Amino acid sequence: MLPAAGEVPWRAVVNGTEKELAIESNAILLDVLRDKAGCLGAKRGCDMGTCGCCSVLIDGQPRLSCLTLAAEADGRDITTVEGLADGHHLHPIQQTFADYGGSQCGFCSPGFLVVISALLEENPTPSDPEIKSAIEGNLCRCTGYQQIVDSVRAASQILTSGGSIEDSTAPKSDPHPGFSEEGAS
Amino acid sequence: MSVEKKDDEMVGYRQQPGKLPFSKPGSGGKNQFSKPTDASIIPESQGGSKKQPWGPHPHDELVSGQAIGKPTAMVDSRWKVTGQAHYGDDVRLAGELIGRIVRSPHHYARVLSIDVTKALELPGVIAVATGADAANKFGVLPVTKDEHAMAVEKVRHAGDLVACVAAETEATAREAERLIEVEYEILDSIHDMRDGLEDSQTPIHDRGKYHIGESNIQKRVFQEFGDVAGMSQAAVASHKQNWLFAGVNHAATEPHAVVAHWDPSGRLTLYTPQQVPHYLHRALADVLEIPMHQINVHRTFVGGGFGGKSDPFPHEMCAAILARKAGRPVRICLDREEVYWINRGRHPSRIEMNLHADSEGRICGIETDALIDGGAFASFGHVTTYYNGVLHTAPYEIGAFHYTGARVWTNKPASGAMRGHGAVNSRCAVEVGMDDLAEQLAVDPITLRLANLLPPHSATITGFRVTSIGMRECLERVRAASGWDDKFRKMPLGKGIGIGCGFFISGSALPIHWDPNKFPHATVHLKIDMDGGVTVHTGAAEIGQGSDTVIAQSVAEVLGLPLDMIRIKSRDTDTSPVDLGSYSSRVTFMNANAAISAAMGIRDELLDATVEITGAERNKLVIGDRRIFAKNDPAVGVSYLEALHKAQEDRGALVSSGAYRTPPMGRTHKGAAAGLAPAYSFSAYVAEVSVDIETGQTKVDKVWAAHDCGKALNPLAVKGQIIGSCHMGMGQVLSEEMRYLRSGHLMNPDLLDYKIPSVHEMPEVIPIIVESNDLEGPFGAKEAGEGPLLPILPAVCNAVYDAIGVRTSELPITPDRMYRMIENRCRAEKVSDPLDLASPRLEHSALQDTLDARSNAHTERDIERRLDDEREPYHNGALFGLDPTIPPDEVDPRWAVTVLPSDEYLTTPRLAGSAWKHTERRHRGDA
Amino acid sequence: MRMPPFELHNPTSLSEALATAADLEEAGQDFDWIAGGTDLLPNYKWHINAKKHVIALAKVSELTELSPTHIGAMVRLHDLAQSDASHPVLAKAANSIASVMIRRSGTVGGNICLDTRCYWFNQSEQWRESIDWCHKCDCGTAADCRVIPNQNTLCVATYQADLAPVLMCLEATIHLASPSGQRSVLLSEFFELDGMTRNVLQRGELVTHLTLPEGAGEWQGDYQKLSQRESWDFPEAGVAVLWKRNGGAKPADLRVGTTGLESIPGFHTEEAASALVDWRGKESIDELAEAIRKAVKPVQNTWYAPSYRRKMVKVLTRRACAGLL
Repeated sequence: MLPAAGEVPWRAVVNGTEKELAIESNAILLDVLRDKAGCLGAKRGCDMGTCGCCSVLIDGQPRLSCLTLAAEADGRDITTVEGLADGHHLHPIQQTFADYGGSQCGFCSPGFLVVISALLEENPTPSDPEIKSAIEGNLCRCTGYQQIVDSVRAASQILTSGGSIEDSTAPKSDPHPGFSEEGAS
Repeated sequence: MSVEKKDDEMVGYRQQPGKLPFSKPGSGGKNQFSKPTDASIIPESQGGSKKQPWGPHPHDELVSGQAIGKPTAMVDSRWKVTGQAHYGDDVRLAGELIGRIVRSPHHYARVLSIDVTKALELPGVIAVATGADAANKFGVLPVTKDEHAMAVEKVRHAGDLVACVAAETEATAREAERLIEVEYEILDSIHDMRDGLEDSQTPIHDRGKYHIGESNIQKRVFQEFGDVAGMSQAAVASHKQNWLFAGVNHAATEPHAVVAHWDPSGRLTLYTPQQVPHYLHRALADVLEIPMHQINVHRTFVGGGFGGKSDPFPHEMCAAILARKAGRPVRICLDREEVYWINRGRHPSRIEMNLHADSEGRICGIETDALIDGGAFASFGHVTTYYNGVLHTAPYEIGAFHYTGARVWTNKPASGAMRGHGAVNSRCAVEVGMDDLAEQLAVDPITLRLANLLPPHSATITGFRVTSIGMRECLERVRAASGWDDKFRKMPLGKGIGIGCGFFISGSALPIHWDPNKFPHATVHLKIDMDGGVTVHTGAAEIGQGSDTVIAQSVAEVLGLPLDMIRIKSRDTDTSPVDLGSYSSRVTFMNANAAISAAMGIRDELLDATVEITGAERNKLVIGDRRIFAKNDPAVGVSYLEALHKAQEDRGALVSSGAYRTPPMGRTHKGAAAGLAPAYSFSAYVAEVSVDIETGQTKVDKVWAAHDCGKALNPLAVKGQIIGSCHMGMGQVLSEEMRYLRSGHLMNPDLLDYKIPSVHEMPEVIPIIVESNDLEGPFGAKEAGEGPLLPILPAVCNAVYDAIGVRTSELPITPDRMYRMIENRCRAEKVSDPLDLASPRLEHSALQDTLDARSNAHTERDIERRLDDEREPYHNGALFGLDPTIPPDEVDPRWAVTVLPSDEYLTTPRLAGSAWKHTERRHRGDA
Repeated sequence: MRMPPFELHNPTSLSEALATAADLEEAGQDFDWIAGGTDLLPNYKWHINAKKHVIALAKVSELTELSPTHIGAMVRLHDLAQSDASHPVLAKAANSIASVMIRRSGTVGGNICLDTRCYWFNQSEQWRESIDWCHKCDCGTAADCRVIPNQNTLCVATYQADLAPVLMCLEATIHLASPSGQRSVLLSEFFELDGMTRNVLQRGELVTHLTLPEGAGEWQGDYQKLSQRESWDFPEAGVAVLWKRNGGAKPADLRVGTTGLESIPGFHTEEAASALVDWRGKESIDELAEAIRKAVKPVQNTWYAPSYRRKMVKVLTRRACAGLL
């Protein structure tokens, strides 16, 4: 086998869970997240810092994991898209991405979602130019961004006016419903 | 009728038939009362109040009000937004090896030897394969199989596959890649598509007796329809432009990736983000020399397709070959530059476009000559060559159509199908030509279009059967919404507004791999067991466009069920009925139709069961929200589950199969099938732009985008497709190009230098949905995935002209090219400061009134035709005085169809037309 | 993992970083510094001039100070763009760099020391092999320059960083440290031809910070950038013009810097001085713009053709001077 760069211990809190891994000293964060930490939600699109599909949060700040050495994130708090949902409840931006067409093929969504979650954390009511500036480092080939911006506006609405997010494991529709008297009219 | 108490059912559950009511498995859950049917969504034809300006539809009686026409989140969106959607590179199997591909550094070379010894000696390398391991050719079209898994004799472009290697780690695989030693004999390569028309000592491919001389011409087309000889005499205005379109790439955010696994029973499962799993299935069987039933192609989530994942790919073969050799799963993920090397993007093209208008403002002729650069392989190119011509024979009624097209092989990454396949570039040229004709005739370009539209239910000059047409409404609505009449030719220098139209197939009527008269285009299976959930098996490939969702909606609508009761299984060829996959904008039209047909089978059984339970009259029964009841007395009825369980008595799960096949259509001349579709979409966009006159930077400020998709089954997705198409088309018109260096190398195989518009470049897009209610479409629907891309290019080009008075003939209009055009105009008009240039202005000529009158008359004609069941045929040519009911070539010899060039033509052929100067080898005396 | 193997060193202080550098020097090991990584890592992924050792500065805390007169080398570009302590023109230039995601990683020091770029060079290893390499990364083949062939002495790769022209106009001093000591030079004297030499940094030396003179806040001006897109793209040309009025209507002093046009950024003292000689407003600006256009000599190795970039320098200069009218 090819002699690898020496392995070093690496420790970080990934999506709320303490991870202790042995990594090559020169490992790239994206590779560690995908290949060792099981976070396949972080995507490799261009691997060169343009597309933003690999975006993750390090101590709450959006970063391109494909251009970040894992060592730089050592000892820090990392959030990938898998860490956004709270138990059974999607993060508002995840919910509105689904409802407003923010995702088509979905490959860029993880990157957009973490970046937008950080934006909304810092500024729950971003203006359109603020939204656009925040996502200018993320490439979407499907949506033309418009429905992404719509999704951010809607998520902001939920965050500020306290809309609710449905529990994903709540019962689905009853296949055996009763007759509604209203139906007679 | 009172509600059955659930408590009664569940108490003391025991098998005591007759003593306790048998519980309903799976009952319970939210919304325990059926919602009353909303009359406003029931069509007038069924007694509801929903207006039907385009007439009734055969599927009207299936409308239950559940899903169709409602903005609907994609059924798989939660997987995507939580990061749990697994794309190609996310499939991780125990014991996986990493595969890498050795690629040619040369544009064109003979492979003399490959030495893999050193690579195999590297610890951690498990398997190596070369062209010798896979001799059989493949290709997406059965008529043009010209690819190998890896080079067998020659490499045909820099980046072509030579060998592959599987190793324990990626680092080892990458190291092994360098240790494979290949000896080449370099051959003279071709990079300019014009050179492909010439004879060559070493043609890139050799098709034996079918080869066109000694050239690199892969496909050529000659077609003439209508009064070609008469068009120049009739013309009072003519437009002529020689266009150069750069090649563009799909640039899906997900790079291609594949995992191959031979399971313990000896079957291969190939996990891959494929738009067309079934064709890959066939190609794998050919290349691996195993029967198809030994292979399961598993479509992963697809991170963007746009046509770029619709060929069977050599790296997919490599993964399967390596996994077979290694006896372990192999995963290959391409680097971004490799994605550009396998390309299949839109063809670089040289298109000569000539349009002619007569004194009546009719389009008396279109002459198109399109030379397209196929790169190293055929891919879909056979079809592309036709599409560059035939897909602009509508929406306008034309007096003559002359088309010469040729596709050549060059030593570049292969071109193929990309969103708007074959129609985009020539459409741009036509629509810019229309703008120029309007300028020459001094009429409004929208009026010119409105006065020359084919009516609904007509035949184009090439014999395409066009059904519903919403073109007129698209034009009228963007004209009104954009404030066109107050802006066109009235804006200050540097600001402009432009119009462009589009026409696209809604599914190809010709399946690539089998006889459409024998096999269906799409088949959908339904299975419903006691839980009441509906399992849908379909081979339609969900690639992010929402195909799973639209099929789920269709089934839900017919069965009156909420979407959460439908589950789509569309991933494995083992379980999905054979399907053509996601290309040519066919999925909604064909698969939703098949799904409706399958659901109708179940619906029949549910209605029968309801009759049995309630004794109600069958023809009075309708389906509403999870309930089947009498239309006249909704209280008489049963729940969905009751009817289902009644229907399941004695036989268990209900299963149903539905299929869709296009009706027979089209004519019989050579190439007549190319461009045939069961329906066509139409669109019209208005774009408003700002041109920075000093720098040449063009910014699109706003787009009004009207698209006739027949019926928007999911308006959220339709709007997403329209806006996304604007983005992609805007990239092609303003900044995207695959740029080649003087050495023939691709300069920008990465996402930094391949300039896709960012969020800042994206204008506001106002999507306008026009619903022309296609009689054969599912609930009236047609396509919305590709057609919406077409109009944005010419709309921007025409807006640029309105802004600064220059007509581009080269895309993309990067600022440097724009600047050069502005400089040229300044020079021509002897203006020193471009800020002093005059904006184009328009004074209507007398013809404007003629066109207005004709347009008004045609509006009435069109409404009449679309509502009239007994309408007469209408053939292109009626506008020129011919009998609309008879194909003109049957009565007028001047309109005869020609598919071979005359000797006279060959004395001075156009560029692509010169392909006909060669003789196919089998027709040569020397052969 | 696309990068070739290398050992990463993670010092936590400047002295430790310099000690690591000294150790590697002594052992005869070549190495690179890595700051934000947005320039170095893509090059490493493409196997461009990768070294066996890399010293990361991310954890060196002394390099992150930011004040109106002191800019640490490890200040992130995003912070520079957003901070109230940044000179407004510098903040504007910083905000125009690449995308916000790149700016969150990229640093001031990294941007100043940005490697020069060329489309024959910024390519994957396979790609460069297929052109038989080039002068800037010849992999031991003594390959020629691909932009201007038949000369293998000069590298004409283009310097495409946005901060340098503004900082030069603000008369920034750049402070360097190495195992053998510290030194400071004016930023305008920091850059050195050619596209491979790039600057005066010696082996083992790094940038610690930049300082601006006390009066930097009195300078006004603008930075104008030419690029295809508002996000992601490197400058195809960039012009900074800064001036000081000293209360009068005419500029009392004027400085012009350019980037994206040659292998090092340009600092155009003569052109600026002659424009001031007999200031006639728009006319002088036009003359200055023409003089700057003449002063730059771009080559064919970026997205736009050199002739266009040169013409645009004139437009950009005029626009950057708009505040003078």
